[in-house]
Amino acid sequence: MAGSGADSGVRRPFERLRRLSTTADGEPTAAVALLAAAVSAAVLSPVAWLLLRAAEVGVSDAIRLLASGNTLSVLTNSVALVAVVTTASVVLGVPLAVLTVQTDLPFRRFWTVAVALPLVVPSYVGAFAFVSAFGPRGVLAGVLAPLGVEIPTIYGFGGAALVLTAFVYPYVFLTTRASLLSFDTTQLEAARTLDTGYRTAFRRIVLPQIAPGVTAGALLVALYTLSDFGTPAIMHFDTFTRAIFLELNTFARSHATLLSLQLLGVTAVILALESRIGPGEADGYGSRTSTDTVVELGWWTVPALCLLAAVVIVTLGVPVGILGLWLVRSGPGYAAGGLAFEWTFGLNSAAVAAAAALVTTLAAVPVAYYSGRTDSRLGWLIERPTYVGYAMPGVVLGLALVFFGTKYAPGFYQTLPLLIFAYVVRFIPQAVGSTRSSVMGVDRALVGAARTLGETPRRAFRRVTLPLIAPGLVAGAALVFLTTMKELPATLLLQPAGFTTLVTYIWRVQEAGYYGRAALPALVLVAISSVSMLVILRGENT
Amino acid sequence: MTHDTDDTTGTDRTTDTTETTATDQRRERPQILNRLGAPKPGVNGDESSRGRRRFLAAVGSAATAGLAGCAGLRSDGSADAGQVAFSDFRGSGRLVESRPEIDAPRIADLPDLSGELTLYLGGGEGGLYRELVALFERIYDDFTAVPNAGGTAEQANKLVTEGEETPADVFWSVDAGSLSVVAEEGLTAQLASETVENVPSTFHPDRQWVANAGRARAIPYNTDQLSASDVPDSVMAFPDSPLADGGIGWAPTYGAFQAFVTAMRLTEGESATRDWLAAMQPSVTEYPDEFLTSNAVADGEVAGGFANHYYALRVRDARPDAPLELAFTSGDAGALINVAGAAVLGPSDNAELAENFVAHLLSAEAQEFFATRSFGYPTVEGVPPVGGLPTIDELEPPELDLSKLSNLEPTLRLMREVGVL
Repeated sequence: MAGSGADSGVRRPFERLRRLSTTADGEPTAAVALLAAAVSAAVLSPVAWLLLRAAEVGVSDAIRLLASGNTLSVLTNSVALVAVVTTASVVLGVPLAVLTVQTDLPFRRFWTVAVALPLVVPSYVGAFAFVSAFGPRGVLAGVLAPLGVEIPTIYGFGGAALVLTAFVYPYVFLTTRASLLSFDTTQLEAARTLDTGYRTAFRRIVLPQIAPGVTAGALLVALYTLSDFGTPAIMHFDTFTRAIFLELNTFARSHATLLSLQLLGVTAVILALESRIGPGEADGYGSRTSTDTVVELGWWTVPALCLLAAVVIVTLGVPVGILGLWLVRSGPGYAAGGLAFEWTFGLNSAAVAAAAALVTTLAAVPVAYYSGRTDSRLGWLIERPTYVGYAMPGVVLGLALVFFGTKYAPGFYQTLPLLIFAYVVRFIPQAVGSTRSSVMGVDRALVGAARTLGETPRRAFRRVTLPLIAPGLVAGAALVFLTTMKELPATLLLQPAGFTTLVTYIWRVQEAGYYGRAALPALVLVAISSVSMLVILRGENT
Repeated sequence: MTHDTDDTTGTDRTTDTTETTATDQRRERPQILNRLGAPKPGVNGDESSRGRRRFLAAVGSAATAGLAGCAGLRSDGSADAGQVAFSDFRGSGRLVESRPEIDAPRIADLPDLSGELTLYLGGGEGGLYRELVALFERIYDDFTAVPNAGGTAEQANKLVTEGEETPADVFWSVDAGSLSVVAEEGLTAQLASETVENVPSTFHPDRQWVANAGRARAIPYNTDQLSASDVPDSVMAFPDSPLADGGIGWAPTYGAFQAFVTAMRLTEGESATRDWLAAMQPSVTEYPDEFLTSNAVADGEVAGGFANHYYALRVRDARPDAPLELAFTSGDAGALINVAGAAVLGPSDNAELAENFVAHLLSAEAQEFFATRSFGYPTVEGVPPVGGLPTIDELEPPELDLSKLSNLEPTLRLMREVGVL
């Protein structure tokens, strides 16, 4: 390595940094562990507020509440909703991923984008669109009624499960797709030369390898379902978030606190379950992504296309169609009064979401790197808690940060840094998840080989590790970007004075019943977020 | 209910001219502000002010262009608040065409707003409240309001969580319950009796907060199908009335409807409410919100409905020929009035400005704003509601502590039991 004296002078501190971060055998050092632990503790801090609040509740009161029939039904409802939505998302997401990656489906790129896009629709907008379409006196109900088609009520468990599945299954689709892309198709060919049918080969060879991807997506779906407020609220289905909201609405904060802790208990169970069936610790092979056709659909092409079209119509056509309808239909009864839409709201949204994506990704790297590289139990202990904020209802997280902000960081209260911190707490698992799986995908032998060939640890990291994990970093950042774009409850509580984003504007006009005015910002929101979805998909194919 | 005229364009033109004039006057505002003092309504002879003269000229030309039924504009529309005219506060449209002279204290009678005010908005009528604040900012050069908006309960919870550390000076919320909660936490400062003197005492409990506008539960009915006497005086009598025979629209998922059922539960008891809901069910058609309910009544899909009073006014505003009228029950849940109100926060170190801001919400201009822009019920005596409705002190709301309305869960349980939700 020839380098000038000045050059190496600059380099030396970096080398020291690299040496600090990785020991010779590739096991991360204590410094990385410490950094990861610090991030993990920081994003867990809002739970401390819940514990403080819970300590104020009398024991008898707590027992009475937790044992009440209402609490039990909320628990049952939430668990049932999580189970159904997660299962449905897997049932829908995995075949769609296989269809768009391993078959000779026509217009594969188009379908890939189209079935991933529903993720950018905020659930409160989506649920509202479904009610407008299929609800009492809804647009589609009106069209179908003369044809003798009775639409069963959209409200309740069925509607909530349907809407949530429609807008979160892309998590499973994306993670499964990523696993399939890095899947070495030569193994499949080997299996088939041994005269194994695709179905058997899929079960015995593909499934075990993509299982970590599927469960990673399923985990995001499960936790999102727990934390989502918009859908159960609009669908009148009592889950934890809705019960917590109702308690807060009646200013019964102690009850809201106890319910939140119960919700976190359920979260812990889900996290523990997932890590049992979750990613194995084996290294990947660093193989090139592959979209080679493995299965020729033949006459299955038609049913496959029908399935895709149906999914896209329901999950994307309905909300966008309803928004468009509002846009053109906004008559005087709807459009009067209210604030005029300003394009700067879109800029504000995009800017704060980009900042949140950047900070979250940076914070996720030590956690993902440490837990992806270490074989110790500590890695698990550090990585798992970062998922807690994701399952926390936004309003609870927001109030926790209102409390800490006013008491301990008044200088930061109602400023962008605190708002961005809230987004980090809420969305870091998305970045940790995708970064961690790419860290695990990097064969340690590759880094070792680079070192043997005389590369410094820093250059080895930059030339070998970084390019290999870059798609994971970018995909994680893009996911954080689009979920930040649509986050509402915490944003409302922590927004800096005079800082209006698309969602706070949508909330403002929708709250006053001016749905026509919500259409344009909602469409802008969907359009901007779609860009980040394209980034995710592009990243996968490089 | 309304005083419709065909000549709506005349009004629109006047409004436009006035706005142009107001913009012109903005540049020379400081002098005008100093010279104007506190003009009385109907005094038009202040020829020393150039801006004023120009304003009057504008009104004159619009009047010759065929302005009908707009006496209020001429007599009230003095440029009494610098470059912002009274008419800038007033909404437009058919319902607003013939407003009487407003006999209530003006902004010019109040001390100037000056400084920066941190304003927590709960709700806020889709930005209308921000528009009013923007008008204040146009009047006073060195006044800035920094709004922070959220749901009514969220804002109250936020204030309670912040406690003494709250950066807010004023809490202005569209729901009485959220104001009560903040007052009960001891976070509000008592308002001066002069500030609230023109508001009925029920609307400023203990002077911890004061209502700036009200919304009344009302029964919109289709005048082609029913007459006023077909709507019973008591909501409990609805199930066996001509109203029920013609079909009733309601929006059980809508917050204001749930507040009405809560009020019934609190005043009549759980079992009576359950029976009432069950008895109503065969006659009702469900709508997603109360605007659509009112619209369906106007279309004759149902003979009557349950809705906040302003939704019928919005329908009338958009469709002046709609056969739609409002009836009010008396002394029961069906006549519930909820209010928007404002409180000065105790921890504020800006209390004087905060109190003055609250006083501005009770000025004739602001009251006219609430009455004509969002069709709310003004709370200050001397400011009538639009659409020929009875004034707020002529309504007969039930005796009820409004903060109790926030206890929604038993209501929802009840509604679910009966199968309404």
